[in-house]
Amino acid sequence: MSDAPDHNDDRALAGEYALGLLPDAERDAFEARLAAEPKLRALYRLWSEDFARLAEDITPITPPAEVFEKIEARIHGAPDTPGLLSMLRVWFLSGVAVAGLALVLVFGTDMFQRGPQMPASPAYVAEIAAQDRSLVVQAAYDAQSGHLHFQREVGEAHSGRSLELWLIVGENAPVSLGILSGGGHTVLALDDAHRAVLEGAVLAITDEPEGGSPSGAPTGAVLGVGAISNS
Amino acid sequence: MIGPMSDLKDIENLIARVALRDRAAFGELYTRTSAKLFGVVLRVLDNRAEAEDVIQDAYVKIWRNAGRYTQNGFSPMTWLITIARNTAIDARRRKTRTDVQSDAMLEQVADSAPGPEAAAIAASDRAALGSCLDELQQVRAEAVTRAYLEGDSYADLAAHFDVPLNTMRTWLRRSLLKLRECLTR
Repeated sequence: MSDAPDHNDDRALAGEYALGLLPDAERDAFEARLAAEPKLRALYRLWSEDFARLAEDITPITPPAEVFEKIEARIHGAPDTPGLLSMLRVWFLSGVAVAGLALVLVFGTDMFQRGPQMPASPAYVAEIAAQDRSLVVQAAYDAQSGHLHFQREVGEAHSGRSLELWLIVGENAPVSLGILSGGGHTVLALDDAHRAVLEGAVLAITDEPEGGSPSGAPTGAVLGVGAISNS
Repeated sequence: MIGPMSDLKDIENLIARVALRDRAAFGELYTRTSAKLFGVVLRVLDNRAEAEDVIQDAYVKIWRNAGRYTQNGFSPMTWLITIARNTAIDARRRKTRTDVQSDAMLEQVADSAPGPEAAAIAASDRAALGSCLDELQQVRAEAVTRAYLEGDSYADLAAHFDVPLNTMRTWLRRSLLKLRECLTR
């Protein structure tokens, strides 16, 4: 092992970063690399896991009861994301089912000879995945057509059950986007209200009764979650 | 104490439900993890009033970022502990106006295939870490644990061990490399 600090690879650097020891400029440079280098992310993850073991020795101390009340007030008392929720209320009042809200059309691969392709240059992408990768679905949004494409790479619905897609915007309740088709590829056409709020929103997939949640809210296990980001 | 795999799986499921804005799941996650996280925060801050503010900030971040959790490949308790610790260190450093620990880990981009390999390499346990720390000279192991648990900066560590800052950094980097070599064998 060399002692020359500059030569001492990224392992030490990732450890310093995980400990929070890097000076500002070096930390910023490290974070820029982190975004681009999976190997560096793996090193950082490894140190984070190892160092977190040190917390095992720490005695748990229950916080005072009012702490949770304050947290709840902060996250649920926050003003609604303008637009979507008020729109939802209007739709509720007019009796439109939430489940069909975002959905103009859904079609599966069986409608096409070749089947639809993922957009070549999507405006937004997301990977909706289970932590153990038992379900992996890629999502890509084509801004030109307003279509949200889903490619199921790993996993499928249990027999007699459906995989339901949800869009979660900010602090709002999940909105159903529809059911993943039995084929590998599903395409949804989003309405204008949902196109505008995709950035930073979260997509999720839950296990639901065949045909989707009867209540319009997720009822089954959350099988995969993924944040939407710029491609 | 959260340890067995079934508990971790539960925590993971709770985080997924929190991403769906499930308030009951958030309450359950808080019930099961807040004492550990409050302990972590108190260790860094050593000030109860500040720690109570910081634990609130940490859970607000957890609520807001739960949707990103599956993308970063962290085990659930590591993710929660890291958020709590970094938030506490930020609060501590804001007072002394030194470098602030970033929330970049919350925004880490997805790795296309963390897969079982990542899970396996994350498997070193507390005992392995302890015995690897024991292989370091005692003061050097102490420097690593102080940096993690108390949030000491290089300046803090240099003052504590009464060595020049550059020496401190050279020490610590060497210690990290030794530690990594020990943990991977």
